[in-house]
Amino acid sequence: MKRSLTSVVAVAALAVASAACSSDAGSADGPIKIGSINGVTGLFQTPEVPQAVKAVFDEVNKNGGINGRQLELVSKDDAMNPQRSTEAALDLLESEKVVALVGSSSAVDCGLNRATYTNAGIISMPAIGVDPACFTSPNIAPVNPGPFKLITAMLYYASETLKRDKVCMYYTVLPGSGGGIDAAIKEWTDLTGKQLTVKDTSVGQGDPTPYLVKAKAAGCQAILYNATVGPWFTQAKTQGMQDVDFIVAANSYTDANAQAIPDGLNVYAGTEWQPYTDETLPGNDRWAKVIDENKIQKTAFSQGGVMAADLFVQVLKTIKGDITRESVTEAFKNMKPIDYPMVGTPWIFGPGEAHSPIQGSRFVKVEAGKWKVLPEGFIVPGKN
Amino acid sequence: MLNSVVAGLTSGGVYALLGLCVVLTYRLVAVVNFAMAGVGTMGAFIMVSLTDAGLPWPLALVIGAAASALLSGLIGAGLVRWFGEHDERTKAAVTVALFVAIGAIGLRLFGSTSTGARRFPTVFDAPAFTLGDVVVPQSVLVSLAFAALITVGVGLLLSRTSVGLRLQALSERPASAQVVGIPAPRLAIAVWVAIGAISTLVILLVAPRLGGDFSTLSGLVTTALAVAMVGSFRSLPLTLAGGVLMGLLEGFAASLDEIQKYRGVVPFLVILVLLWWRSRNEVWDTAHSR
Repeated sequence: MKRSLTSVVAVAALAVASAACSSDAGSADGPIKIGSINGVTGLFQTPEVPQAVKAVFDEVNKNGGINGRQLELVSKDDAMNPQRSTEAALDLLESEKVVALVGSSSAVDCGLNRATYTNAGIISMPAIGVDPACFTSPNIAPVNPGPFKLITAMLYYASETLKRDKVCMYYTVLPGSGGGIDAAIKEWTDLTGKQLTVKDTSVGQGDPTPYLVKAKAAGCQAILYNATVGPWFTQAKTQGMQDVDFIVAANSYTDANAQAIPDGLNVYAGTEWQPYTDETLPGNDRWAKVIDENKIQKTAFSQGGVMAADLFVQVLKTIKGDITRESVTEAFKNMKPIDYPMVGTPWIFGPGEAHSPIQGSRFVKVEAGKWKVLPEGFIVPGKN
Repeated sequence: MLNSVVAGLTSGGVYALLGLCVVLTYRLVAVVNFAMAGVGTMGAFIMVSLTDAGLPWPLALVIGAAASALLSGLIGAGLVRWFGEHDERTKAAVTVALFVAIGAIGLRLFGSTSTGARRFPTVFDAPAFTLGDVVVPQSVLVSLAFAALITVGVGLLLSRTSVGLRLQALSERPASAQVVGIPAPRLAIAVWVAIGAISTLVILLVAPRLGGDFSTLSGLVTTALAVAMVGSFRSLPLTLAGGVLMGLLEGFAASLDEIQKYRGVVPFLVILVLLWWRSRNEVWDTAHSR
């Protein structure tokens, strides 16, 4: 009797196990699995992003989940390694059977895996889109403006808000992003009819003085800059460039950089979301609450994590019937725009071959070693 | 173009200082020290962390330099104790490993390029004079003076004093030096300690120009090696000249639109050309002593 009971249990266990194995992407029971590829180790480190996404999902789960099902985030670290990034995507799609990718933050994911996502019919909404492929793929739509829309906004801010005639650009570029930069400049030229006085994308390491001297000689009144902050501004002060408006990109918007910039210079930064250093701004209260409760590091990137997760949950709630990879993709392709207070324009996935829903930037300025939020609100090129 | 060349020249002093530190270590203790900039950066970051915490800068400077001296002394002690009998290549390989380790620790302690930028004290930041469109700050003159001081001072130390003589004996034949009664290990460690402290001073002078975060500053050792190569790891005056040459080349590279994006390659190009030049001239290479 005892033995037969054991065998019954064993058979039952086997049956359950095989059922679990055969369950396809997003079965009607069990947790809803969502994937993400994040740089946690390596050169591009954003461990706070998957933590923020998970925090939002935990909150949803605590309130009963979606249609009674729990949300489960499966985050893979790609260490900015192309090989690992490709493997991570295949693992998430084939083994983990995730229904979508939410809150990815990798410098290499979009370019490498865009075709994989399109072929698998799965959508990805990165928290941080870095390379141009994030903004030009049919199945990827990031929640940040990205480096290129940001350039257009920075140029627009320099020429239209600060009203500077001679706008220059001193940038360091990653291989392959030169075309994106040219397109961003063209967008600004089309909107304003203005041209750059100097465009130099050769800034690297080494003494910045030769560049600064050239900028002075060219009469630059506003300078867009995205490379190392410390030496550039120390030497800019030495060269007496206190009357120039410097505008740095979102990657330089950190507390450490604000302290590294000497007093007396005009340095602005274009941000991708509501500046995280002021928690009273619209949308930031929600973000700060999630981040504080879960003791996550407060960075702009973590804003992207919370936003991506929030939007995903919102769209997920509109799905009637089973939540599967197919139904999720369909819901995102047919969704209506969602206003999210932390960015300048509504977010939408929608149909189409390329997605770059978020535009515009809000600007902050260094004052006495701190970033101060400027009152203008979001600067959306062509709309302000 | 003249402006760019002058602008490049203003960084000649800091490049010379970096190169001199490497040559100094090589001449005194016969080690090509890849960890030099890393050790100096550690001290410099300890110093700025202390000034950020409210300590007056002279006190912080002493603590930072002492920390570097201690770290360098430990490295020296390790090399003397465990690698004393090994050849230069092995010792160099050890310092490469240490360079990587210090870089990783520094990244952990003091943050990356975007999160770890620090503001270094700019005591000599006031303009000294203006040349063309280029404002030349006092720090340029201070760097050049410090470089000249090291060049002349160490030259005199080696050629005119008994300590210098012992140091030379030590670096060329450590075993024989010990046999004739020179306290080799202690002397060597003392040299390492001094080099650690000097590296911190050098990194502090260099930082406002060449980088504000840990990895950039500790990576400056590549530039330092290129400059040291000009003096063939031996001549201090030639190393000083090499630093100025490096600045000149960088300024020149920045002035030509066609080649400016390859500006960062300049140090490597200098290393390559000099290696080639020396390998085609075997007699010169084998004949020299340290």
